[in-house]
Amino acid sequence: MQAGQITIVLFCVLIILILDLIRREKLSFKYAFGWFCGCFLGLALAVFQDVLRAFSRMLGFVLMSNFIFFVCVFAAIFLGLLLTVFMYQQQRRNDIMAQRIALLQEEIESLKSHNPK
Amino acid sequence: MRTLIIIPALNEENNIVRTLEELRLHGFEDIVVIDDGSSDQTAFKAAEAGVKVLKLPFNLGIGAAVQTGLSFAKRCGYDAVVRIDSDGQHDPAFIRDLLSGIGQGHDLVIGSRFLHPDSQYRSSFVRRIGIHFFSWLISSLAGARVSDPTSGFQAFGEKAVELFSAVYPTDFPEPEATVLAKRAGLSVCEVPVKMRSRMSGVSSIRYLRTLYYMVKVTLAILLDMMKPAGRPRG
Repeated sequence: MQAGQITIVLFCVLIILILDLIRREKLSFKYAFGWFCGCFLGLALAVFQDVLRAFSRMLGFVLMSNFIFFVCVFAAIFLGLLLTVFMYQQQRRNDIMAQRIALLQEEIESLKSHNPK
Repeated sequence: MRTLIIIPALNEENNIVRTLEELRLHGFEDIVVIDDGSSDQTAFKAAEAGVKVLKLPFNLGIGAAVQTGLSFAKRCGYDAVVRIDSDGQHDPAFIRDLLSGIGQGHDLVIGSRFLHPDSQYRSSFVRRIGIHFFSWLISSLAGARVSDPTSGFQAFGEKAVELFSAVYPTDFPEPEATVLAKRAGLSVCEVPVKMRSRMSGVSSIRYLRTLYYMVKVTLAILLDMMKPAGRPRG
């Protein structure tokens, strides 16, 4: 089996895996959308390798594999950055919820003390 | 029939008071506004108008806001819930038509702008294509003839409140909710309503988002067909 065929099979497996994660509610479509776009793009380039070869040469890469490696490294960096941003947003939301809980707790205690029954 | 009107709202300070006044003119007093993390005075103006306000600490989306309202209704023991949007598009004069559907034994009643003979509401061309596409998709997959699958003007009976307070789609929930209801064995019907243009402000569903919406909801509906019916999330 050639590398291109293996790539196509792996991308198809990945797409099915993502669909199953969405079906089992382990992943929402909103966050899977980027993965779908990446998978379909990868699938298309694995099928039309000449396009990928021509594009990598146009950018100055001697070997197509070097270009693929370069793209993967920067995709991983970009994904890491996105995840960092997402984690920060989740941390802020946790902080807000913790503060609200504290304020609600105080309000409840205050109501209880004014109305013991 | 004890009825609660739920109004999910996001940055609708210019519309919320008029919407509430209209509801009161039609005799509805049990109203709750779910403020979905507005950055304006929506919650303040609603509270000032004398209605209950559930303030979500940050924006969770329309699905979570509606689910919050339904959970509140379930906790308070309401027999029926009517969802009305805060932008003035939904005419409260048709709420009793929605509730009559609940009274006839239906669990989910959808107000359809396409069934009313005098309706002059026009959405964008792309949105109309989306609406017709979902109408066909839901009819084919769930066996529910729905002419206005994206209508948020809906009434929920007790069974629908029970189902959707446990599981409700997140963003762009209406078409998916209809399929969920049918798969859970609920009775779904439509009644004709008139819808109006927004009083002010901008719709949260714009042109480019319409395409994303169509892809997302289509996939969500297809995947929902593969899930066990009525299973709560989490």
